Amino acid sequence: MKIKTLLAFSISLLAAAAWADAAPKPSINTTAIAMFLAFVVVTLGITYWAARRTKTTADFYAAGGGITGFQNGLAIAGDYMSAASFLGIAGLVYTSGFDGLIYAIGFLVGWPLVLLLIAEPLRNLGKYTFADVASFRLQQKPIRILAASGSLVTVIFYLIAQLVGAGKIIEYLFGLQYETAVIGVGILMTLYVTFGGMLATTWVQVIKAVLLLSGASLMAFLVLSQFGFSFEAMFSESVKLHAKGEAIMAPLAQKPDAISAISAISLGMALMFGTAGLPHILMRFFTVRDAVQARRSVFYATGFIGYFYILTFIIGFGAIVLLINNPNYFAADGKLLGGTNMAAIHLSHALGGDILLGFISAVAFATILAVVSGLTLAGSSAISHDLYATLVLKGVRDEKKEMRASRFATICLGIIAVLLGIVFENQNVAFMVGLAFCVAASANFPILLLSMYWRKLTTRGAVLGGALGLLTALVLVVLGPTVWVDVFHHEKAIFPLKNPAIFSVFIAFIGIWLFSILDKSANAKAEEAAFDAQFVRSQTGIGISAAAEH
Amino acid sequence: MSHSEQIRALPEYIALTRARKKIVWPLSIAVVVAYFALILAIAFYPASLGAPIGDGVTSVGIALGLGIIIYCMVITGISVSYANRVIEPLTRAIAQKAGALK
Repeated sequence: MKIKTLLAFSISLLAAAAWADAAPKPSINTTAIAMFLAFVVVTLGITYWAARRTKTTADFYAAGGGITGFQNGLAIAGDYMSAASFLGIAGLVYTSGFDGLIYAIGFLVGWPLVLLLIAEPLRNLGKYTFADVASFRLQQKPIRILAASGSLVTVIFYLIAQLVGAGKIIEYLFGLQYETAVIGVGILMTLYVTFGGMLATTWVQVIKAVLLLSGASLMAFLVLSQFGFSFEAMFSESVKLHAKGEAIMAPLAQKPDAISAISAISLGMALMFGTAGLPHILMRFFTVRDAVQARRSVFYATGFIGYFYILTFIIGFGAIVLLINNPNYFAADGKLLGGTNMAAIHLSHALGGDILLGFISAVAFATILAVVSGLTLAGSSAISHDLYATLVLKGVRDEKKEMRASRFATICLGIIAVLLGIVFENQNVAFMVGLAFCVAASANFPILLLSMYWRKLTTRGAVLGGALGLLTALVLVVLGPTVWVDVFHHEKAIFPLKNPAIFSVFIAFIGIWLFSILDKSANAKAEEAAFDAQFVRSQTGIGISAAAEH
Repeated sequence: MSHSEQIRALPEYIALTRARKKIVWPLSIAVVVAYFALILAIAFYPASLGAPIGDGVTSVGIALGLGIIIYCMVITGISVSYANRVIEPLTRAIAQKAGALK
């Protein structure tokens, strides 16, 4: 019956997409529509296949634990390389050169840390979510509530930012109405996750990662081939053409003040530690069999992500050289059509005409779909595995009920995300990704790290310190320039930094430390005593939970 | 002695925790220091980063930035190869002995 519903949904969706073809906008590209339809058909086919293999919670949350390290590496890269980073970083390099590169680096530097500190003990201790690890020797209820809150805040802000971006890009590329685009993306992601669970989500990520990496490789290759594969020749041509000239080779702020220095460090902390606290990324480590595969996953993921940022950088410079002198890509007011985020898209047209434009547009669309699906799955796992199974079922295992709850949670999340996506259409949502990283860095990361490595961590310390980190991050973002000035239109921000991680991460660690060492309860002693056994398991994997429970 | 205490007493386990410590903290610090050094350099020495290398236009900053991307990949490579060579045989030996201890 479920599969019939799935088919019915897909047919109505295809109809909606076909309707897009008839929309009045002139910019419709048939290659794009055809490729986008092909992607939707293939991924729905995968969902159909995965739905028949998704029977238990282990299948739903962790694809039965049967994903290999290489596949998972691609899937992690798929989860992490969002359309925002592809289009956004290429656009940033196009407008300011060097500064775009630095921004991209921030998204990469967290990965070695994930490998060195997190991946293996996480896999050895947990089962489906990072809350499993955080609550391993602490009290289930309070820790899971906190971890789930951290996960949900991260997921929802990230999801809204992606959906609003998705709506705008699809509106521009395919001529669909904004609301239709957001609803369409919402329906597809809900379908993938509800029916296909982690198995479908993983394969959607893998396909998307392969598409994105090949599309970006092709573009970078075509750009470099125009300069005899010399970076120097590409840079020198860019410097000649760009309005900022040689300044694109240097940091934009030539005389930075203390605030901008602190602000850069703060953003760096959010990106670096936030990467290690993103719930949809952490969840991926439970789809592989053991710590060896987890380690292999990060190795491949880091390679793919690093390679991808180098490509994006080349694409940004390619856009400078090939677009700036071509009036076709600019509006009458001298601005790039569709905004600077469209630099990579226009470049694909400049390089390979309508066919490459169609391909890259479809890739951008696939990228959006894959990322929102991964986020939705992480959110619904936090609700069903951490909140519902612990609070409502009180830890008594009930496969059927938990499975039903997870599907119900997915549908609810899908609806909420679509509604918020529509509400925030004309708001500035740029702060939301930063906020998601900041919360991940200030709540999820400290709790996870200390629960694995610090003997004296207690439930009280983790809950109070983690909650302090979470609240500090939220409050300071609201009082900072991105919300207080850009959203609420006050004249001056109460808190000067765009990203408060430097304070909120610090407050979280200090809070956790202080409330843990002050905790003299019997509980605290028992939790400390349980550390050694936990550490043995985290290091050796002896006693590891297999995701598949057959 | 509990099972986990017995494991902790194994010479292989002691060697394992030592081997991990030897790689985990130095490499983590190497990544954190390199990244924040770059951020601080951008804040305090923007002109030096913008200076071209030799006669070309490619700046020191661009080279350093691309270098850091490669550096992150190399660090994960070193860490994985070390884990495969040194850590893996130890965890396997521990798992075998732990099975016998039960």
